[in-house]
Amino acid sequence: MLNIKTIDDASINERVYQLNLGPQHPSTHGVLHLLLKLDGEVVIAADPIVGYSHRGHEKMAENRIWEQFLPNTSRIDYLSGLIYNQGYCMAVEKLCGIEVPERAEYIRVITSELNRISSHLLGIMAFVMDIGAFTPFLYGWDDREHVLDLLERVTGSRLTYCYNRFGGVRNDIDQEFCDGTRRFIDRLRGRFKDYHNLITENIIFIKRTRGVGIITEETALEFGVTGPSLRGSGVNYDVRKNEPYSVYPEFDFEIPVRKEGDVMARYQVRMAEMEQSMNIIEQALDNLPEGPVRSHVPRFIDPPAGDIYFAFESARGAVGYYIVSDGTRVPYRIKVRTPSFSNLFVLTRVLPGNFIADAIATLGSIDVVVPEIDR
Amino acid sequence: MPTEGQKKLLEELKNSLTRALPEGRITSGDYARTGCHLEVRLSDVGMRRVAAVMKDKRFHLETITAVDFPGSFELIYLYSTYYDDICRVIAHIQILKDASPHTVSAIYPGAIWLEREIYDFFGIRFLDHPDLRRILNPDNADYFPLLKTFGKTKLTEEIDDILC
Repeated sequence: MLNIKTIDDASINERVYQLNLGPQHPSTHGVLHLLLKLDGEVVIAADPIVGYSHRGHEKMAENRIWEQFLPNTSRIDYLSGLIYNQGYCMAVEKLCGIEVPERAEYIRVITSELNRISSHLLGIMAFVMDIGAFTPFLYGWDDREHVLDLLERVTGSRLTYCYNRFGGVRNDIDQEFCDGTRRFIDRLRGRFKDYHNLITENIIFIKRTRGVGIITEETALEFGVTGPSLRGSGVNYDVRKNEPYSVYPEFDFEIPVRKEGDVMARYQVRMAEMEQSMNIIEQALDNLPEGPVRSHVPRFIDPPAGDIYFAFESARGAVGYYIVSDGTRVPYRIKVRTPSFSNLFVLTRVLPGNFIADAIATLGSIDVVVPEIDR
Repeated sequence: MPTEGQKKLLEELKNSLTRALPEGRITSGDYARTGCHLEVRLSDVGMRRVAAVMKDKRFHLETITAVDFPGSFELIYLYSTYYDDICRVIAHIQILKDASPHTVSAIYPGAIWLEREIYDFFGIRFLDHPDLRRILNPDNADYFPLLKTFGKTKLTEEIDDILC
């Protein structure tokens, strides 16, 4: 007979329980390890332990020429790789003063926004599955498959893209891609009704998300939160609007903002953002200029000595490349500011006082990609 | 082109920073080339005073990083605003190789992780930091990977050893 203490033993009630959530837990989005201190079902402290998928991209950058770092960029955040790819190219182009043809800028915007839709689809559906709804996940995965097929057609890969080049893109898009993209947008618009029926108006989903995991504007500012997690807290900040880059000023689109700051608000911001991305893609396809897709750039570039910070908006928030060049063919230092890093750290402030089930919902709604944090 | 509001904000910032940091060099940055509107250059100290001014103006701390130059480290603090009239302030703070700079985590709690990362990669110990542990590298690591002295030869030797 084991010596098991009975429930009414006073010492049990006072004991703080430590729970290792992850690194192999299905709802921790990769290899995130959350060390939770629990008092019964209530979280009293959370310590995210990261670094399981650290690959040393920043060190790799110092050991290869500028062009060779291109494939690394899409592996930092594998869900919005094309946006990272575009950002790195734009930063280096700005450093060297390389001109990009207008058609290439349009193609970059179309592919990046498609990538943003695929990332949001995965983010939302994985989050919904975390809190118990399995069906929407299958629908979302179906839609995402169409985006990946389209992107595979032009870029040659489905996840870790390397499509942008200094001075443009690798190859032109064809009519079939344009038609396919329009067909996909029509299809996804029709699907939104189903998603709202399945998720947004689902009473269980509403009960699980309203008023849960609130990030206030003040907390967001202290921790440097960006992206949908910030726009769910009532701050209208999107790098595409606040600090326009590429050809974004030419498009008519809105930045969805919600005031509540809870899990539901972040979900709604992502849903609305997908619709805005579709608007941008349609406008870009309508006004797609003719011309070359790549300007003449030497095979090896030699940027001038100096430093530059270039910010752009990925699916998760503001990304920044801080690049230091010493005038040689190898970068002196490349620092990548990744949004998930700040967005995850805010959990140490948000989770305490919540139930452990709500901690899962909050973590899912922030939509972290762990390799982006670990780099 | 900078807007009216942006010019006003930059002017205010420049005045506040000059008042708080009489020893610093505060210059307007070339936004089109470097992506920053205002550059602050300091040596050894002053990071907490910069942070206090920026917090007062409701800027958020985008990131902190370091660069390993021969003979010294440079700490880079990037501040930006969420609101209209985008404005980015970069602070370059030059420190000696064995110096222990002050933490800004009392002003910006988000800096706790950012400074942990700098400690992890450069071995820079921040004074009064509440939780200075390794973050991405293993806890028992005895190296600081982003130092220029760490690198090519040792790493390639190790890889060769594994492959052989």
